[in-house]
Amino acid sequence: MSRVQTWKEALGTRVPEAWGREIDIFETQIELRKKGRIEEKLFAETRLRRGAYGQRYDNGQRHDGEKTQTLAFPSGEATKGPSTLWDAPGMERIKIPYGRLTADQLDVLAAVAEEYSDRILHVTTRQDIQLHFVHIEDTPDLQRRLAAAGITTREACGNTVRNVTACPYAGVCRTESFDVQPYAQALTFFLLGHDDTQDFGRKFKVAFSGCRDEACGLTNFHDLGAIARTRNVDGRTKRGFEVVIGGGLGSVPQNALLFDEFLPEEELLPIAQAMSRVFSRLGERQNRARARFKFVVKKLGIEETKRLVLEERAKLRPDPRWTAFLADLHATDERPLRAAGPLASGTLPDGFAAWRETNVIPQRQDGYAMAVITLPLGDLTSEQARDLANIARKFTGDTLRTTVDQNLLLRWVSEADLPDVYAALVEAHLAKPGAGTIADITACPGTDTCKLGISSSRALAAELGKELAASGLDRDPNVRHLHIKASGCFNSCGQHHVADLGFLGVSRNVGGRRVPHFQLVVGGQWTHNGGAYGLAIGAVPSKRVPEIVKRLAARYSKERTADESFADFTKRIGKKTIRAIVEELQQIPSYEQDPSNFSDWGDPREYTISDMAEGECAGEVVPYVEVELASAEREIFESQLLLDDGLADKAAARALSAMLISARALAREKNANVGSGADEIVAEFRKHFYDTQLFFDPFAGGKFAQYFFRAVDEQKQAQTKESAHQLIEEATLFVDAAHQCYTRLGSALRAS
Amino acid sequence: MDAQKLQLKIFVARDSAGAPAETIIPVFHTWIREHAIPELLVDVTNYAHVPEGPGVVVIGHATDYFYDEGGGRAGLLCNRKRQSPPPAERLGDLARRTFYAASLLERDPAFAGKLRFATGELLFRINDRLAASNDDATFAAVKPELEGLARRLYESPFDLTRVGGPKDLFAVRITSPNAVPLATLLERAGGAPAAI
Repeated sequence: MSRVQTWKEALGTRVPEAWGREIDIFETQIELRKKGRIEEKLFAETRLRRGAYGQRYDNGQRHDGEKTQTLAFPSGEATKGPSTLWDAPGMERIKIPYGRLTADQLDVLAAVAEEYSDRILHVTTRQDIQLHFVHIEDTPDLQRRLAAAGITTREACGNTVRNVTACPYAGVCRTESFDVQPYAQALTFFLLGHDDTQDFGRKFKVAFSGCRDEACGLTNFHDLGAIARTRNVDGRTKRGFEVVIGGGLGSVPQNALLFDEFLPEEELLPIAQAMSRVFSRLGERQNRARARFKFVVKKLGIEETKRLVLEERAKLRPDPRWTAFLADLHATDERPLRAAGPLASGTLPDGFAAWRETNVIPQRQDGYAMAVITLPLGDLTSEQARDLANIARKFTGDTLRTTVDQNLLLRWVSEADLPDVYAALVEAHLAKPGAGTIADITACPGTDTCKLGISSSRALAAELGKELAASGLDRDPNVRHLHIKASGCFNSCGQHHVADLGFLGVSRNVGGRRVPHFQLVVGGQWTHNGGAYGLAIGAVPSKRVPEIVKRLAARYSKERTADESFADFTKRIGKKTIRAIVEELQQIPSYEQDPSNFSDWGDPREYTISDMAEGECAGEVVPYVEVELASAEREIFESQLLLDDGLADKAAARALSAMLISARALAREKNANVGSGADEIVAEFRKHFYDTQLFFDPFAGGKFAQYFFRAVDEQKQAQTKESAHQLIEEATLFVDAAHQCYTRLGSALRAS
Repeated sequence: MDAQKLQLKIFVARDSAGAPAETIIPVFHTWIREHAIPELLVDVTNYAHVPEGPGVVVIGHATDYFYDEGGGRAGLLCNRKRQSPPPAERLGDLARRTFYAASLLERDPAFAGKLRFATGELLFRINDRLAASNDDATFAAVKPELEGLARRLYESPFDLTRVGGPKDLFAVRITSPNAVPLATLLERAGGAPAAI
């Protein structure tokens, strides 16, 4: 048995001094909070900045399928943040800058997942790794062990610069302008803990891409996206970046706007610093829902934002770090462990051909390839992580990456070694084929662990994977290239906006009971760095989602023209056709006839407590509101069709109409005399639902109501395609919030 | 046992039916709802999609219970994390919780009597590399206590074998040719566990 008492003692100087000091401070803050000597909001932001995040049920309340039970933690009412109990299990987010992992780091991650979590490493859509069910008091040692391996969790959450992501193929990609890794590395550690990034009102996300056309960097929905570009200047190749800013997904996605078509490489860090200052100074503080940088850009306009950033740039005191890294742009280079060689002909392992077809990508360097490790739902076990680290040590060295589609990547595999690598991956149960196909589904944690989750995106993804395999659609060459992505709520962590078939978790009221649903979102574009966002067609019960996927995929397979994308196909057959399929599947049997639709995938608990079944009065209320909300959804759908026809003004008017119908439906429950004029509806809605906060979402507050008020205020403004698109998104969220409000309040809606 | 973070796994009998995720998930939810185990259970999480992984887990505050698929062999794994009893009682308490949870599963109508555990083999681990590296020195230090537990459980010849590599958790396989009924193991371990 070990005589060493603490990890701090055991690791000693292997923890970088500065990082060790930060963790010591955090440990002290934990002790101070336990003694009540740090205010809970302050402690919450402190722990978030260390990557220690809340998880579902951390308010100590959990619905067990029949009633809400209190989780009687031993620390009682002690908290680690507002409504967040001290003992409640939490999530630790671990930043992996540009997804780069060494074999030794993977070993440490495996160990801490085993000892502090549940033996699962979860790869996120932003190249982080997350561990779940971690106790706050275990986090300092967890962080020390990671720090000793060169990983910091600092600023993994909170109002900070989050993990800097980059194309996982950088440096070995055939289409990149140049390797963006040294720039991502430099920017990561320049902004980490920088004075100018400590006072944001909200998070700030940065992504790098080596080229414009592929999907790997997803720069289009980042606060700051940098795409590698070169120019010929006086006969020499000059490096720089096409910089886009103000993009974001979230509840209302925004396309990033062009800040500079060619920012010289030496200006990247100072411009990012100047932008941080502008965001700190002008970003919203009070209203969290409008605090991201995208709202600053939207409010000021791209030209004014640019002017302010450049003005700030001119004021910056020169910093040698801006350009020091340029002296060694090979610092992040990898060297292959084994000699390049061609794949031998002859007998190959069973399954190798299928795996190679989908999971092996040739590198720019002849004789080498990348091998994608397809992770089901982004998960791998500690044992698999150790196995993979050993495979890397044997065949490639430290060349691992996490990817934004929740997989892992081995680079610098000699093509001659591919069969042996495959055999080793088979041993580790890591040789699943189908990377990047319809079966490789992305999903955020959803209701499994996220406290914002509305529907179970992970369980849906697991079920879809099974059903696609059973139906053979995962092998159908006409559809296997499609991307499916699912988010458990409107925060869009599953990136459903940029999928061919996106799903967004919502709930609906059916016969007085809550039923988990997903909005079907079509028309998104994964390529071109997430180049276009889809729109919601309508909500279907969770249990009907596999059927709609199968129907749409089968129809696409049968009717697509050569090289027709799914987005083009949906345009051609028309959203009305898709909407008809949705409507067909929206109807479910009553709870009494078949209760299975009233629980979510993978969770046998009844989805909600329903107070709608209390009496006949509730039964009378339900139909009117439901009918009106259904009308509002139809209005939204009509608005999409108008937008597709290029009629932005009409589309916006119809989206506003959807909001007005919803607001009036609710307002009439309080005042049956509410007329149909917009001003009257707004006044009544504001009086009964906004000022009273009855409409407020438990997490988003009054955000969705503010969309409505603004839409009315700005209804006479001319619309562009983009502004109408945004209004439709906002109307969708408002109508959904009306559904939630109605369900929440139930029969209380009529109470005066 | 000085270490606090201990694990014990009892394997599903080789001739027994397993527990598919769709069957065991509702059972674990029922454990939470009905307080089937005298301690705080928080949530159920499903990793059945990961081959040879943690399977389905009921997460507790002090203890987690995995229907574990690790190593390609299903079993009930009890993972004690915190609020440990005094050192002298830790191993016995771990055994009581493991066998009690396993017996709940065996008796659950959802499995219709088809789920049975093999009682002649246990896997013990210390989930704390700082306290216990997987080496002979640790084995020598904990062996007397493990022998004491095995003697109490089997009252007959048994064998302790350290397993796994240096990066793995400290682990010992306990085997006995005398596979006594699960109820007997639970009784010999001390009966139903005390409330935490």
